[in-house]
Amino acid sequence: MSPAPTAPRAEKGDDPSLVVGVDVGGTHVKAGLVTATGDVLGLTRTDTSRSSEGLVDVVVGVVDGLLTAARGRQVVAVGVGAAGLVDHARGVVVLAPHLPWRDEPLRDRLEGRLRLPVVVDNDANAAARAEHRFGAGRGEPDLLLVTLGTGIGGAHLVDGRVQRGRHGLAGEYGHMTVVPDGRACPCGRRGCWEQYASGSVLGRAAEDLVRQGRPGTTMLRELCGGDAARLRGEHVTRAGLAGDPLAADLLAEVGRWLGHGLANLTSALDPGVVVVGGGVVAAGDLLLGPARRALAERLPGTGHRPVPPVRPALLGNTAGLVGAADLAREAGG
Amino acid sequence: MSLCLGVDIGGTKIAASAVAPDGTILARARRESPAQDADRIERTVADLVEELTAQVSGSGEQVVAVGVACAGFIDRHGESVVFAPNLAWRDEPVKAHLEALTGLPVTVENDANAAAWGEYRFGAGRGVHDLLLVTLGTGVGGGIVTDGHLVRGAHGFGAEVGHLRVVPDGLRCGCGNTGCWEMYASGSALVREARAVVAGGGAHAAYLAGLCGEDPEELDGVMVTEAARAGDPAAVEVLETVGRWTGEGLASLAAVLDPGCVVVGGGVSQAGDLVLRPAREAFARHLTGRGHRPTPPVVVAELGNDAGMVGAADLAARAVGAGPSGR
Repeated sequence: MSPAPTAPRAEKGDDPSLVVGVDVGGTHVKAGLVTATGDVLGLTRTDTSRSSEGLVDVVVGVVDGLLTAARGRQVVAVGVGAAGLVDHARGVVVLAPHLPWRDEPLRDRLEGRLRLPVVVDNDANAAARAEHRFGAGRGEPDLLLVTLGTGIGGAHLVDGRVQRGRHGLAGEYGHMTVVPDGRACPCGRRGCWEQYASGSVLGRAAEDLVRQGRPGTTMLRELCGGDAARLRGEHVTRAGLAGDPLAADLLAEVGRWLGHGLANLTSALDPGVVVVGGGVVAAGDLLLGPARRALAERLPGTGHRPVPPVRPALLGNTAGLVGAADLAREAGG
Repeated sequence: MSLCLGVDIGGTKIAASAVAPDGTILARARRESPAQDADRIERTVADLVEELTAQVSGSGEQVVAVGVACAGFIDRHGESVVFAPNLAWRDEPVKAHLEALTGLPVTVENDANAAAWGEYRFGAGRGVHDLLLVTLGTGVGGGIVTDGHLVRGAHGFGAEVGHLRVVPDGLRCGCGNTGCWEMYASGSALVREARAVVAGGGAHAAYLAGLCGEDPEELDGVMVTEAARAGDPAAVEVLETVGRWTGEGLASLAAVLDPGCVVVGGGVSQAGDLVLRPAREAFARHLTGRGHRPTPPVVVAELGNDAGMVGAADLAARAVGAGPSGR
């Protein structure tokens, strides 16, 4: 006879504990209480601070506020995602172009003040983790997240683990060379992928067309109030979705370059799913359709191998804090 | 002592060895490869296993597992060879068949992955947990270790780096696409460029032309390396070109992976610094964030043609829990 049944082991979803997730960006600190199923309670947004000390104070203040808001529900850890180079093992923010921190031992400082276990990671790593656990790549252990913004960032998971590389610098996808001696990149090199497929490239291409007074730019011109310098990727997305053919062409062009770069990444990493994040993915298939076609056409062995699905990110701008919280939960918070 | 066997199955020969837990090869055997007969390949592997088992049993060693490596796509569970360009295997359940034939646990791995693993465990990348291996041969193969784990990918197609597009609308590749890395950075590219030099004639081509008896088709990679070693400027230039393309492609991969070490293997790597110096220069020049990050060393593979066998044997050892506990 089998032994008497005991209480079923608690599934992750039954875990009532909370983890504070914090996303430290260049302008705001976003935070919330994150459940074991990735839901966010009490989302807050606070202005950042320009001083290193001040920014630590902001994070502590935000977390304290959330601990109070948790009203007796158990909070077991704090996860912080920061926009910059993070030494994950030591919990140090090494270098962050948009933050005042340099070699900031953030984990130790926060643990000292908060009396909770703290995990610190790069924001893109955190976002990839979130999309893997709760978002567009749920359950897929080999996931590639590519985020189109000013440049192209992202992170990849292999067998369910975020890969950081030897120095925490993995995931600089935007600086793969896609055109030898191509367009100049602020990184000092030429032909970087992000000069062909980022959100800012889309805005710049639209700006050029409007400045040249090309026919068909009426809608783009209206969207920027006649000031071409104000054109951003989002404007092109909006125009494309409203049926503007020129905007659709620009999105398709960026989409094709997106697909070519994704083919290179897929050859190297063979992800089970590609998740594309950033504001411009609001364009949906106007961008991702051409990207998917270019990927399938370019991938070696197409027809003999599966082509990974290319999906828009689901979690938007809470991905960083949700993922940071989940990494902290996994670390044993 | 418990040993594992490593078997490298190629289109012309099958090489096998008995490998100690520290990566030392204790015995070797090889056969012609019956590449066009799926069943005979498996029986030949079984024969080699039997031969090596007999060889080492005299000294009291026991064979506990077999690791098999071949070029091609292996399903992610390491059970079947989905497609192997040089062998008759198509969706061949190699693991099950070989286990039935040998009575031993069998591990199946892509050859470049196995070579990367071998170099990571016992070779040029020993102890570097984030490692990129590229092999410059007929094509360009690759193997990636991240955080001490082999990247097989979601479908077992990981680290197939030879068809990265490095030049839009570039040279036409046998895969049907254009601008693939291996059209610029492989042994085939080296020979193609050198043949073009010979075909072009003139004083510049004289040395290479002499080596191949004026017939460009007779020229091979070894001759080019030999000419470069002797100081022939044309051969040096061809190796530099291939090295430069190698370095550029590596820089793109390093942006993605942030490896602690890059290991270059394959026939072209035997040219040593003649190809690696230009590769290192181009790599450093094209690596994003240069000046703000350490440039990983680019080194020649240490295990040569044994890397795949040794890596496969170690992977087999780990699969049965017989290997030294690594990371």
